[in-house]
Amino acid sequence: MGNVLNLRLRKSYPGFELAVSASFPSGIVAIFGPSGSGKTTLLNCVAGLVSPDEGEISLNGQTLFSAAKKLDLPPERRRIGYMFQDSLLFPHLTVKENIHYGYRLTPPQMRRINPSKLVELLELGPLMDRRPESLSAGERQRVVLARALATSPNLLLLDEPLASLHTGIKGRILRYLKAVDRELAIPMIYVSHSISEVLTLAHKVLILNRGRQVAYDEPRRALSQPAVIPAVDVESLENLFDVEVLEHRPSSGITLARLGETILALPHLGQETGKVISIAIRASDIILASAKPEKISARNILKARTEEIHSLGPRVLVQAHLDQPWLVEITPDALANLDLREGQDVYLVVKSSSITILD
Amino acid sequence: MLSSDEFQALRLSLQVASLGTLLGLPIALAIGWVLVKSSIRGKVVLDTLVSFPLVLPPVITGYFLLLMLGRNGPIGSFLHDAFGIDLVFTWVAAALAAGLVSLPLMVRAIEVAIAGVDPRLERAARSLGAGPLRTIATVTIPLAYRGILAAALLGFARGLGEFGATIVVAGNIPGQTQTIPLAMFTDLQAGDDGGAVRLVVLSLSLALISLSIHHVLVRRRGLLRRPWATS
Repeated sequence: MGNVLNLRLRKSYPGFELAVSASFPSGIVAIFGPSGSGKTTLLNCVAGLVSPDEGEISLNGQTLFSAAKKLDLPPERRRIGYMFQDSLLFPHLTVKENIHYGYRLTPPQMRRINPSKLVELLELGPLMDRRPESLSAGERQRVVLARALATSPNLLLLDEPLASLHTGIKGRILRYLKAVDRELAIPMIYVSHSISEVLTLAHKVLILNRGRQVAYDEPRRALSQPAVIPAVDVESLENLFDVEVLEHRPSSGITLARLGETILALPHLGQETGKVISIAIRASDIILASAKPEKISARNILKARTEEIHSLGPRVLVQAHLDQPWLVEITPDALANLDLREGQDVYLVVKSSSITILD
Repeated sequence: MLSSDEFQALRLSLQVASLGTLLGLPIALAIGWVLVKSSIRGKVVLDTLVSFPLVLPPVITGYFLLLMLGRNGPIGSFLHDAFGIDLVFTWVAAALAAGLVSLPLMVRAIEVAIAGVDPRLERAARSLGAGPLRTIATVTIPLAYRGILAAALLGFARGLGEFGATIVVAGNIPGQTQTIPLAMFTDLQAGDDGGAVRLVVLSLSLALISLSIHHVLVRRRGLLRRPWATS
């Protein structure tokens, strides 16, 4: 697979300079960094809302910007979708009119995505005649995603689309984004300052700090950079998973659900079996044991293998693998005590009550 | 109740103010947009020029129009030679005077209305494939609708009261260019107090109607709620 987006650019503001040079493959690439690191400026340069001072940007071989050739395509001719941080739906139009706004401006031969498909994929049917003001924050983000996708863009830019949402809705929107990635195969650049989002979604991550490109790699490798620490310090890390409800055991107070090959015991809930739901487990709520613990009240004892160990200042992040990567947060003291190494068999201990059901 | 001259004055006033607003509004929209949105140089000059009719005696505005539209003026001579049209001392000239005098008021109101539209919504439209003009037509104007309407009503009301510029460029010809203020001036000159009072009542009624329409329109928009005004 060739690269979708190639860029090399420099943009200065008083007291700030953004300098990035990277090639983006298809799939989801995250741009990660603390606030003020230039993430949004980079997206705006790609979208054509801000002109770089120097450099070149090309999408699928077409030059969008070139300082040398004095070329700067206006945003409406770049065929790039943009999902803004605040949804920015048109308040004077209904949901349906919002979604059709860009669709109608797309030349018929370029329409690859039908709005009705988006309505189905993002479950917007009941919202179509509503006005943006009457929607919840999560509904708004789904509509704005549909509006951007209805133009059949060659690239979708997402600027912290989950920042204004609470955790419960985040999981759902993440699931929709994964569905978009799977069903529509539109390359996405996803700006975020949340490690959990990056690990859940992205195939690659570009890390920015004060306008400089610090790392550009697979998420697991890139996130071991020291520049990540300031951002991680303030965040409580969560593991977000989609699980399938298997069976309810009301008398035991638990519900069993499947995550890949693993069976998890969740707090008892009323969801019907077979339904896929999102759950969140805080990295600091997981106990890590080097031997199988016995006679313990926690209902989930999961065998896993440590893959990466990141020391982030006063915190240690262990990435363990069982079907999917799990993030576990321990103290440097625990790390020394357990004598943990990468590639070691461990047990993850999770109380069912520390699993949050997101929807 | 109204004499035929007074009735003519009413009809002419409405006609003059309507055409003046209709001609002035697109220009005011364009100037307002440029003043708020564009980053061209010379905005201060444009801003000052537009304000002139507001601060200069209307007689001077009328004199300027007379110079432009007269047989020897650049616009007047072109219209006369090309189409055989002479605007001076016609109701159209009165409408132009009304439009020009109310232009600064409309521009100011439109500036406020356009500045009230979240520029990020316009950027969203651009990213969805709308060019600059389409963005103005489908996002900026619909969202600034209420302010633009208020600007038009303000311009209309100002046009109804136009006197100084009108009398210079359109004269005071009953049935042709004599609007309500001019008719009232004539009544006062002739000592016809009864006529003057009737015209005062007429003017008051027109003003009340304009304000009521404005009020109703603003209220109706209010019922729809405008969440974008706050967030």
